[in-house]
Amino acid sequence: MSIVSVRGLVRHYQQGDITVKALDGVDFDLEPGEFTTLMGPSGSGKTTLLNQIGGLDQPDAGTITIDGTEISKLSSSQLADVRLRKLGFVFQSYNLVPVLSAYENAEFVLLLQGMPPAERKKRVMETLHAVGLQGMEHRRPGELSGGQQQRVAVARAIAGRPALVLADEPTANLDSKTSESLIDLMRTLNAEHGITFLFSTHDPRIMDAAKRVIRMEDGKITNDERKA
Amino acid sequence: MRLLKLALRNLFRNGRRTAITAAAIASGLALVLMMVGMQAGQYADMLRMGISTMAGHVVVQADGWQEEREEDQLVTGAGEVAATLREAFPEATVTPRLYLGGLVTSTRNSAGIALRGSVPSAEAVVDTLDDKLIAGEWLADDDDRGIIIGVHLAESLQVEIGDRVVYMGQTEAQDEMVSRMFRVRGIFRTGGSELDGMTALATLAAAQELIERPDVAHQVALHIPDAAASPEAWAKAEQLVSAPGRDVLEWPDALPSLVTFIEIDRVSGDVMMAVMGLIVAMGVLNTVLMSVLERTKEFGVLMAIGMRPRRLGLLVLLESALLGVLGSLVGTLFGSLIVAYLVAYGLDYSGMMGETMEMEGLVLSTVMFGAWDFDRMGAYVLATIVVTVLAGAWPAWHLTRLEPVDAMRAA
Repeated sequence: MSIVSVRGLVRHYQQGDITVKALDGVDFDLEPGEFTTLMGPSGSGKTTLLNQIGGLDQPDAGTITIDGTEISKLSSSQLADVRLRKLGFVFQSYNLVPVLSAYENAEFVLLLQGMPPAERKKRVMETLHAVGLQGMEHRRPGELSGGQQQRVAVARAIAGRPALVLADEPTANLDSKTSESLIDLMRTLNAEHGITFLFSTHDPRIMDAAKRVIRMEDGKITNDERKA
Repeated sequence: MRLLKLALRNLFRNGRRTAITAAAIASGLALVLMMVGMQAGQYADMLRMGISTMAGHVVVQADGWQEEREEDQLVTGAGEVAATLREAFPEATVTPRLYLGGLVTSTRNSAGIALRGSVPSAEAVVDTLDDKLIAGEWLADDDDRGIIIGVHLAESLQVEIGDRVVYMGQTEAQDEMVSRMFRVRGIFRTGGSELDGMTALATLAAAQELIERPDVAHQVALHIPDAAASPEAWAKAEQLVSAPGRDVLEWPDALPSLVTFIEIDRVSGDVMMAVMGLIVAMGVLNTVLMSVLERTKEFGVLMAIGMRPRRLGLLVLLESALLGVLGSLVGTLFGSLIVAYLVAYGLDYSGMMGETMEMEGLVLSTVMFGAWDFDRMGAYVLATIVVTVLAGAWPAWHLTRLEPVDAMRAA
């Protein structure tokens, strides 16, 4: 069964008198374990598609099914639960909670999931170890570099064992060395833990690392290529 | 709970803003507590004076005297009533009183007078007139020819201690003029124009002789040492001395205009303090709203990672509640210190207002002492927290309406 199934997805925005067709009839499926990137020029609809799949925005038409749950008709609380249980997010500008430490940021999702304390602690430590942040558990975002903050964001995204991690330009604010190490990390997580990733990016290094590249233009998928 | 921890950290993220808002809440509350303490002190003073000079904790009166105050509405068998009460309440002071209106003349002038016939030694216990003597001595209980008058009355009659004055009035049946000669034994100054200008005190026996009715009084007043026990005292007195044609009243019923005055004053104070609360609430709303708006993106992220909008609203409510609790704690501390000072030392307005002031016919000291009113103070502390939480309700509700994608787009 597909993790994501998108059918006939339409999302239009009104900008003054002009209707912007951010998504104009998108169909695609994502299988478990995929490491897929959405490519395309600015305004092609990549971020809108990620937001739709993440249940952060409502479509004008079409359906989205995440891990067997059709999400386009859900209430805001039900959507929050889907995001909590099935999805992880990595944003371009990290978006960590500034008053929480690295440990607490990663732990937050598990707290919301209601995981028992002992199991939670074990999971957070494992996750921080997996993203290479052991020893930095108690630092707050302000005390971490950009690359380290993005690792915390990745830890937060994967700690709850989601079916899918959505990453919107995760390397856009990082230098090339940090970007490469982050991409390596996500590829390792994909390979060793089977976590499914869907990126939107301009970064050619992510494109190189991806097993599948979906190209978009004017709100439509123009090319869908799987690498051997 | 983690939400509490997060709320606390959010509050201290902008410590200066939190401190300023908490200080506004605290100073508002401290001011309110001070006003409540002052009011409580003033009301206690008024009630104490009203009870001691105008009534007692329990009074026995003729049916209808409370409303009409006619001279012929008398309690008969006043001596027996007084004796019964004295026996039943050995700790208490009992004052049978007869109030007569008439004219008093000296060799030089004449003036209207309100004569109170009573037991002087008992009046000295419950009233403060004896402390206000500026000349002469307090009346002896058997001195049926002696009279104590106010300083303005003495001035207008141009009399001094030992001088003779003649009281003229009517008999109880109002069919005959009566008169009686008294000697001035003492002159008092209370600062109250009515008391100093019109009031005179003589013995009960002298007043009874004047109206030619032995063993009567307009009021037999029972003054107990512990005012809080007056409901029980009233119940007991009612059982003992109740009779047809007699009213046995507890002080709130005997002093209805004073009680109403205090109630109205209290309510107008509440209105003023509610306005102040509203102003503080606006300040809190401003702070909470600002702190919510500047974190809109962060809230969007929290929603994105799976936090329910309602829980986010709860977080904001919790932040306002904590702000309210913090402000209230500090405000309660400072307010209580101020009230403690007022209870111990009072505020001295005598430089501005003289030694006494008149209010509702009562002569009150211008050194105003505070008093503790724990119920009312507690209610205000609680109201402060509730108002602060309410001030956070709108920003919290605003959050629950946000779409995560819109929230994350915020700068």
